[in-house]
Amino acid sequence: MDNVIFSSWNSKIVDNRKGKTSKASKLVDIAFPKPPEEEKPLALIGWNGLVVMDPDADIISLTMNYLKEARKLSCGECSVCRIGIDRLLDIFGKMAEGDGSGKDLSEVQQIIRGVSVNSKCNFGRSVLFPVLDAIKYYRSDFLALIKGEKKLEAKEYSYAVTAPCMEACPASLDIPGYIELIRNSRFEESLNLIREKCILPGVVGRVCPHPCEDACVRQDIDEPLSIRLLKRAVADYDLQEGGSPLTGSVEEKEKKVAIIGSGPAGLAAAYNLRLMGYKVTIFETLPRAGGMATVGIPDYRLPKDILNHEIDLIKRMGVEIKLNTKVEKLNLKDLQKRGYQAVFLAIGAHVGTKIGAEGEDKGYEGFVDGVEFLRDLNLGKKVKPQKKVVVVGGGNTALDCARSCVRIGFDDVGIIYRRSRAEMPASDEEIEEAEKEGVKFNYLMTPVKILEKDGKVTGVECIKMRLGVHDESGRRRPIPIKGSEFTMDTVMVLPAIGQRPDLPAMIGKDKVEVTDWGTIKADPVRFKTNIEGVFAGGDCVTGPAILIEAMDMGNKVARSIDYYLWGEVLKREISFEGVNTREQKEQGFIAEKAAEKVDLLDVDKRSEGFAEVESGYGVSEAMREAQRCLRCYRLMVWEKAG
Amino acid sequence: MVNIIIDGRKIKAKEGSTILENAEELNIEIPTLCHHKELSPFSACRLCTVEVKTNGKWKMTTSCDTAVDQGMEIRTDSDKVREGRRLSAQLLYYKYPTTAVVRDIARKLGVEVSEDAKAESHDCILCGLCVRACREIVDAGALTFQDRGLGRDIDEPSIEFDPKLCIGCGSCAYVCPTGYVKMESFENKRIIWDKVFKMAACKVCGRYFAPQEQLEYIGKKTGVPLDKLYTCVNCR
Repeated sequence: MDNVIFSSWNSKIVDNRKGKTSKASKLVDIAFPKPPEEEKPLALIGWNGLVVMDPDADIISLTMNYLKEARKLSCGECSVCRIGIDRLLDIFGKMAEGDGSGKDLSEVQQIIRGVSVNSKCNFGRSVLFPVLDAIKYYRSDFLALIKGEKKLEAKEYSYAVTAPCMEACPASLDIPGYIELIRNSRFEESLNLIREKCILPGVVGRVCPHPCEDACVRQDIDEPLSIRLLKRAVADYDLQEGGSPLTGSVEEKEKKVAIIGSGPAGLAAAYNLRLMGYKVTIFETLPRAGGMATVGIPDYRLPKDILNHEIDLIKRMGVEIKLNTKVEKLNLKDLQKRGYQAVFLAIGAHVGTKIGAEGEDKGYEGFVDGVEFLRDLNLGKKVKPQKKVVVVGGGNTALDCARSCVRIGFDDVGIIYRRSRAEMPASDEEIEEAEKEGVKFNYLMTPVKILEKDGKVTGVECIKMRLGVHDESGRRRPIPIKGSEFTMDTVMVLPAIGQRPDLPAMIGKDKVEVTDWGTIKADPVRFKTNIEGVFAGGDCVTGPAILIEAMDMGNKVARSIDYYLWGEVLKREISFEGVNTREQKEQGFIAEKAAEKVDLLDVDKRSEGFAEVESGYGVSEAMREAQRCLRCYRLMVWEKAG
Repeated sequence: MVNIIIDGRKIKAKEGSTILENAEELNIEIPTLCHHKELSPFSACRLCTVEVKTNGKWKMTTSCDTAVDQGMEIRTDSDKVREGRRLSAQLLYYKYPTTAVVRDIARKLGVEVSEDAKAESHDCILCGLCVRACREIVDAGALTFQDRGLGRDIDEPSIEFDPKLCIGCGSCAYVCPTGYVKMESFENKRIIWDKVFKMAACKVCGRYFAPQEQLEYIGKKTGVPLDKLYTCVNCR
């Protein structure tokens, strides 16, 4: 940003005020948070510093508003943070009323240092530091206030809150917030808070690969919080208590929205639009609702009753789901004629990507697309166990295929992956469990030819690979080793290296613009396609992504459709992109405490069927685990241009 | 056992024991307001702060909830520790200037306590002792902290009482350090958190000795027939 007058962000002082340039740098090359598109901030104060863009910004009011928001975010559990912020507000309030004295600023400093070293959580330890910057670098303003030479003006402020885990979560769930409620045994409220952004808590609590945990600050001390299991505990508790309905009153609107696809993206959009009062119909090709959550994830990871319960709650809000509705019969113009003012394409990515092996398109018996295999299985098709199966791929779909085959009773289940274990996109837990279940992993090879006899698969010819330099995905590129071909006997091959949306079947004659990768083109803020009134999101836009990512796009599309139906345009929200939310100056000492563990189903029992492998936390385990949260809330407040 | 050093004294400490427990055994006085040895630590009052050496640097932590570790070095009486405790006490005193237990501890930790005001109120200082006693000892869970998450705007956190779950045992009143939790006893009734409990009379001596709901709760938890429970301890 070139118009910065002053910045202390990340402890780097930039001071472009007149006569103050001697020691400080003139340029800001640090990423600090970007307030929403339409709000031109005059100044911002956040956990990591103070940034002033306009000479007219009122730093005192900004600081006081920051403290007011901080007070709301203080959990109140430890006295120093809660009372300390109160005391600071009291001191500044007195100054503003003309009752201040010269000593006040040193008391402010003393309190801030005391709160920062002695607070229970990372919020208290980090939140007050920028106030020190304000009174240090804008001291003359505060002194003028004390002397009565300056009056505070009424300005407008906005605030934003994040945390390292929230930044990592595609849906920016208020993770410290719902954990705090668990810790205080307020499971019901915790569930409500989760549901604000995650309408499938029991599902996500089971299948999410939890990027939040990878960002958890606690791992620097011992191990990350088991955030996923905490979310699951809240959903499980609710189900045990009889299952609460979704809350929120619906103010009916006349307008109708059509959603194509009942996967996580479609469901999330449907729920949010319904909550806003729109009449929502979901059109689903398959005989069951849930999209990939129902046909892509096997029961041992996600029992169907959990998903069905959560879908049922959405239906009870008044969302209509039309199953077995082939979308090729629906034409977008037709939908519009039937009164749907907006259409959301959330058709997912249900077609397997080609693996590039000779014979893969010949329709040999025993060569089945991995996603199709899982879909059939999940829709109740009986699969006869075979002697051997080879799954091609290293993602969660490949693992789901392999682990399902173990449960069906295949004698020999193997995975071949072209890179090494370190590059495998599947989560570590999945890989470990598959290994325990006897799945054989063959790394650094790829199939080049499907071998057959009389139209039936008899084996696969592979070539060995080595790893070259890093490619654009950040992983080392696999390179075939010439002359290293060999054959592997098998009666079944399940390719599972990626998926794309089934566009021709779903969009009919209307030309929705697509990308080179075969996904639907939609803009990243408003999710609009090239056709007026038609939005797209979820896997059909991103390609196969994690469930919560698709679900969150559903949330965002709902907002964008709402804006659209009001004739307004949704603007970019606040962005913390590139901002380091993990670091903080004062760490304190935190004793090691390992995460609560859960039981897993005995490996011997897993081949007997599709029983859920992982158990969840009970109430007391969840409350104990929640105690480990360091509550790394990061607050930011900015003054808006008047 | 692990070897630790507290204020320069080398001692052997039980694995998993807290700094506070070890300090108490050495007769090192550490002030606390929210601690009770029968309850899980809460580290809310921030008065039991000590310093622990980690990676060559001294860092503050609360002694009530920090377990000792092999080779841990602890200072309980450094300038920084004293200043940290004093600030915690000063803030508590600022918030609850007329609550006796707060005034006493503030005075002890070097805060100037005005004698103009009297120790006349019984404020809830959110130490959480009642909440923990109700959950951990009684297992009733009638008391919970009212909390905030993002976007929830409670000015003051407070303690919520669920009359449906309360059995009238009075544990909360017993552990409350300020007298905020009041229990009033009359011959045949007891009032606690504004809920009125009927007292049960002993079948033998006729003395009112416990709330009926508490006896029913004990019966349910232990399987002892209610009939037996309606005899007071003296007459059993």
